[in-house]
Parts: sequence; C-alpha cells; structure tokens
Amino acid sequence: MAKVLMKGCEAVAEAAVRAGCRFFAGYPITPQNEIPEYLSRRLPEVGGVFIQGESEVASVNMVYGAATMGVRAMTSSSGPGISLKAEGISYLASCKLPALIVNVSRGGPGLGSIQPAQSDYLQATKALGHGGFRVMVFAPYTLQEAVDLTYQAFDYAERDRNPVFLLMDGCLGAIMELVELPEMKEPSDENTKKWNLRKRPDEKRPARALTPIYPEIILEMENKTRGELYKKWEREDVKVEEFMIDDAEYVVVAYGIAARVAKEAVITLREQGYKIGMIRPITLYPFPKQSFHKLNYDKVKAIIDIELTIPAQMRDDIALEVMGRAPIFEYGRSGGNLLDDDGTYDAIMKVIKEVG
Amino acid sequence: MAKEYKKIYSRPYAIMPVMSGYCPGCLHSLATKIIAEAVEELGQQENAMHILPVGCSALGLLYWRGDMVGAAHGRAPAVATGIKRCCPDRLVFAYQGDGDLAAIGLAEIISAANRGENFTVIFANNSTYGMTGGQMAPTTLIGQKSTTTSEGRRVEDAGYPIKMAEIIAQLEAPAYVARFALNTPKGVNEARKGIKKAFRMQLEGKGFTFIELLTNCPTNWGMSPLKSLQYMTENTMKYFVPGVYKDVEVGA
Amino acid sequence: MKQSILISGSGGQGVLSAGMLLAQSAADSGKYASFLPEYGPEQRGGSAKCTVLTSDKEIISPLPKKCMYWICMNEQSFKKFGTQLKEGGVLVYNSNRVTSPITRTDITAIPVPSDQLADQLGNPKAANIILIGALLAARKAIVDPEHFLKSLEEKFASKSDEIRELNAKAFKIGGDIGKDYAE
Repeated sequence: MAKVLMKGCEAVAEAAVRAGCRFFAGYPITPQNEIPEYLSRRLPEVGGVFIQGESEVASVNMVYGAATMGVRAMTSSSGPGISLKAEGISYLASCKLPALIVNVSRGGPGLGSIQPAQSDYLQATKALGHGGFRVMVFAPYTLQEAVDLTYQAFDYAERDRNPVFLLMDGCLGAIMELVELPEMKEPSDENTKKWNLRKRPDEKRPARALTPIYPEIILEMENKTRGELYKKWEREDVKVEEFMIDDAEYVVVAYGIAARVAKEAVITLREQGYKIGMIRPITLYPFPKQSFHKLNYDKVKAIIDIELTIPAQMRDDIALEVMGRAPIFEYGRSGGNLLDDDGTYDAIMKVIKEVG
Repeated sequence: MAKEYKKIYSRPYAIMPVMSGYCPGCLHSLATKIIAEAVEELGQQENAMHILPVGCSALGLLYWRGDMVGAAHGRAPAVATGIKRCCPDRLVFAYQGDGDLAAIGLAEIISAANRGENFTVIFANNSTYGMTGGQMAPTTLIGQKSTTTSEGRRVEDAGYPIKMAEIIAQLEAPAYVARFALNTPKGVNEARKGIKKAFRMQLEGKGFTFIELLTNCPTNWGMSPLKSLQYMTENTMKYFVPGVYKDVEVGA
Repeated sequence: MKQSILISGSGGQGVLSAGMLLAQSAADSGKYASFLPEYGPEQRGGSAKCTVLTSDKEIISPLPKKCMYWICMNEQSFKKFGTQLKEGGVLVYNSNRVTSPITRTDITAIPVPSDQLADQLGNPKAANIILIGALLAARKAIVDPEHFLKSLEEKFASKSDEIRELNAKAFKIGGDIGKDYAE
C-alpha cells in the first residue's frame, strides 16, 4: 500500500478503525482534538459509534460499557483529562476489560501548557488509577510506529483482558509524516466471546456478570494473576530499540519524540568517532530492563536520560537497572518548550567532556 | 385435592433463589422484585441488561439472575450509554441510589437524559447514603438527621433536597419521568406498572425513561420498618411528591 | 540531503497550508517529508508557524534548532524568529509587511512584494504560493518546482479552472523573482 502523508492524531485514529475499533467516546482537550474530530466523521462510515461525552470521566465509562459488549473501544485525551479518566481506567482493569486509551501529552502539572511535553511518564507507568494495577504502555517515536502499535494494541488488550495505553506527545500528535496504513480488519468479538455480554437475538446462555467488585478471596486471586501477567509481559512483550550499544561508552536513553532528537545527535556523534549508542524503550511498561544488563559496564562511562520533561521521570527506572554501575545524567526541556537537535547534541557533548 | 390448587404467585425468574442480605424492612428487595416482575411480564428475562450501581443496591449482584455490569459511583448512565449504543436491542436499565445519581453522578444522569439515550434509569431515593453508614444525601430532608448532620440537615449550609424527577422532566428529550413511593401496596402496584411502561417504551425505541422510587432506610434512619413507612408518608412524600412528571404518550 | 524550511506569519495568511502543500509535494516526488505546525491558544489572528523537512533519507529528528530556509510573511514573526535561520540560509519575505531592515549579512534575502502581487492577480490568498514559487526557483533541492506545480494542481483538482490557473500564475510570478537568486 502506498504511503500517505498524515497528521499524527489522524493516523492513530485511522489505525484504530482499521484494527476494528468501532466505539469512541471522548471530550475536547488540546492537543488531541484531531482524534475525536476525525473519528466523528470516520466511525459512522463503518457502522461505528462516536460519542462526545459530557466529561472525560463519562467518556471512559462509556468505553467501559462498550467493552463489556465485546466491541473494540477507545478514548483519548491529554494529561488533565487522563487524570479524570483514572477512575475509569482502574475500573477497566478491575473488570478485566480491553480498551485503548491514548494520551497526547502536554506540559504539566495542572493545566500546565497546551504545548507538547512528555510529562506523564510516571502516571502512565506507575499508577494510571488507584489500586495498584498496571497497563502496557506503548510509546511510538514515528507516526509509522504509532500506527503499527495502535493496530496491535487491541490484540494485546483482548489477549490480556486489560486496557492498553498509547503515550504520545503533542508533537507526534500534530506532526505530518508518511505512513503506510495497515489493511482494514473486520470487527469481531472472536477473542472476547467467552466472556462478553453480547447476545445474538435468539442466543441462550447462562447469565454473565462483569463487575469491578470482588469477594476478598477472589480479589486476592485476581491480583495474584495480575502479578503473573505483569511478569509475563517482562519476559515476552518488551519492545525496545537498541541502537549501537555493543561497544558504547556513552548510552543515551530516550523514548518518543525525545528519542528522535536524541538519535540524530547519536548518529552525528558516531560519525565524529564517539562510541555512543541509544536504548529506546518502545514499551515503557514493561520497561526494557534487559537492555541495561547487556551493557558492558567496564566501558560505559555515562548513561544520559533525555526526556521532554523536567525533572526526568524515567530516570528512576533506569537507575534500578544500572544499579550504580555507571553515572546517570539527565537532560530535558519542559513547560512546552521543545528539545532541538543542536541543544541536545550540546547537552550530550557536555556530559562526554565531563566524564572524559 | 392437590391438583385443585392454583399457583397465584412465585418468585420472579430474574431473582435468584437466595436469602436477601438487605437489612430487615429495607425496600430495596421489594424494588428489585417489582423490576424483575416487569422484566418477566414483558418476556425480557434473557434480554435484560442490569447496570449495577455502587452502594447497597450493588448487592443486586447476588440476587439478580441475568446479565449484569457493575458501574463506578455515579457513572451508570455513561456505562449504559456505551452498552445500549453497541447493542440497541437489549433492554438496558440502571438502578442507582441518591448519592450515586443526584450527587456524584449528576453530570452523567443529566447528560444521558438530555441525549435521550434509549434506556431506563431507576432511581432509588431513600434520603441517605446507606452502605457507607448514613451520611447526608443530596435528598436528605430538611431537619432530617444523618451521621454528617447530627442536628438535622440545615438549609444554611447544605441547601435543599434535590428533586430529580422534576429536574429530568424539564429536559426536552426524556420520554417518561415518574415518581412512586414503595411504602404502600397501592404505591408498589403503581410503581410496577410504571416500570413496565418505561421498559415497554424503551423496547419501542421511545427514548429515555426515568423512574424515581421513594424508599426507606430503617437502619440509618434509626426507626422500626413500620415507623419508617409512616415517616415516608408524613415527610418524604410531602416534599418528593409522587406522580407522572412527563409522558410523551399522553397529550402528544 | 535534509532540507529544512520555516514558514511564519499570522493566522489566516496561509502559513500552515503552504507548509502542508510543500510537504505533500515533497512526498509526491518520492522524498520523505515532515510537517510540524506550532499551535497556540488563539484560533484566529495569533501567530502561525510551521516547520517542513524534506529528505531523500528517512527523517530522524523533526526538530531542528535552525532552518536552512525561511518564508516570512509578516513583521511580527520576522522579529520573533530571526535567529532561527541558519548561517548561509535563504530568507524569502513578504516585503509588503516585513518593514524592518534586513541586517544579517550571512544569509541570502529575497524580498517579494507578495501581498501586492497577489492583489494584482485578484486573490490576496495567493500570496503564500507566490512566496513558495520564489523559494523553489532559488533552491530546487527542496522540491523540484515542476513537482510542486503538479501537487498543487492535484490538491485543487476539484476547484474551478480559474482557481487552478490563478495558482499556477502565482507560482510563476514568484518563480520569476526567485530564479535570479538560483545557485
């Protein structure tokens, strides 16, 4: 299929439709408005449902309702709205419902800034809601990757009966790039029919209940199963790009838009003879721990965490794996100010000079 | 002799043959029963989809036989919206208490009603937060005591009890809005008919239907069951007046 | 090679549509392209800015600190983004609105009275096409002018002949000015 020039938000929305998503509910917030706007036109064309909810809270609960029916459903928002959706995301996890939640993130905390930022790493990876559940967090760095991950997200969500989170930033949401769109899948409840509440007109089956409340003994069992699931993700579902790390003395760690800028600097520095590489987590959760254990710490002089947020949020996860074997530096921009090529190059160079 | 007996009453199919865990004298179980009867009279046992709320009425999970979805506090109308839009043929109803519907879930109920979502909301108004231990509800009467208004609800700081049926009836979209009191056999019969009518209208695609049921909470009101029924006649029903507030089938 | 173009002006001047057209024509000609708009809280009348990158190789960073080319459509943005043009870069500016003197000597500045020329053509909205015409005539490596014209034609395929002819004329008028600065 030919590549088309598409805007980030619209590419993600189209990829979701092609993955069989037939339900969207959301609430306006910059910089993700192009997702609901696009789907308000697109979903009716394919027999899907679009609802502009009265709030983010209501919208995520509409998605919850649709998911009980075995319909591939999604919602999207940005930081302030994701905070409101936290309740519903926890209920989705509790009720073991698949759904896709997209965060096109902006500057925070609070209303923060409508400009791009990677300010929601901790929220996405540690606690998207109360109760100690986790979700897979995908962090694409190009629109093609955003399209591909969106397309796969529903399969993961249904396989695990757990919501999946796509973390972009305002920059990837607004940028236009060439993407190759995947083929259109027919919607199907094949993966969910064992438990969903859909019923064909003349179908008879025992009654089913999907609830977010459990007797103590069952809740503990469910939580143990969740723990096992998260461990399985770490073993089997980590996605990461390891770029020139074999002989690296300097290892940059970055994800999403920050990784684009960082990679450009890494390439330039390699051309100039520096032994530098990059670890790019594509799944922020499960975090690519093994990539850090592969490094030859006899050689590694510095780990440089580059994020579009201040203070760095991924640093703690990196530190847990590096275990003091190399010093960790951080560089970022915040408040809606963007990283740029030269500034990032200079920041890495400063570290190189400092550690020698 | 035995074959001359005629069966005139049985437990509705949609109610599980188990003991109710509701407090003695609580009208929740009666409300559950008349909903089940309405479902059965319309032949919708297989088709009904029950959205469970938070609070005492969430116990319906243990007594209801049929498909059920548990919703977060106040969000039942949003969950029902997602369900009904995906499966328009199902008979979808949410059962919500007063804190759930008239406080934390005001945005959801007003918006679902205003969109004219084609499902039914049954609102159990007992003037208290039952399961959490009897705190003031948005529907607690002026002067009525609760664990957070030990001297009785005061207008000065807590405002007035909120009249949901009247508010919903003001909207353009709803098709049927009515309030019934479950403290007398007459009220129960009217309520059963009202619920059945709301369900029928939903099945006919007429839009949003809303039934407010005045109920009691002997435990948290600190009254005997009988006294609580009297209290309803003397106080609750004077403020929350039973009646049909909107019906598109009348005078249309 | 990666080419970077900054386009700036005020909302309503066609800044973003010019950027999108440029990116689309690069894509149509088989290059990689990216277009990044900068958005503000204002819906209308605020400043508008976008960055377009074109390249024969996949574009890694879409966030250059400075661009090689700059189409500047008004005075306000001229003052604001002056430092974002690289040394040795090319500035194509709307000389009807940019009134400050061009003091940088390390760049090539191409004045284009694009408002006036567009008015003479009968459509003030064509100013952005005139400016692109000038830039592409001066630096063909960004996108071949022929390719751009083809993409422009396709983009407006559903519009009247009049509009399409107007676009072509606007592009040519700009090109006549820009070609004197060709490398």
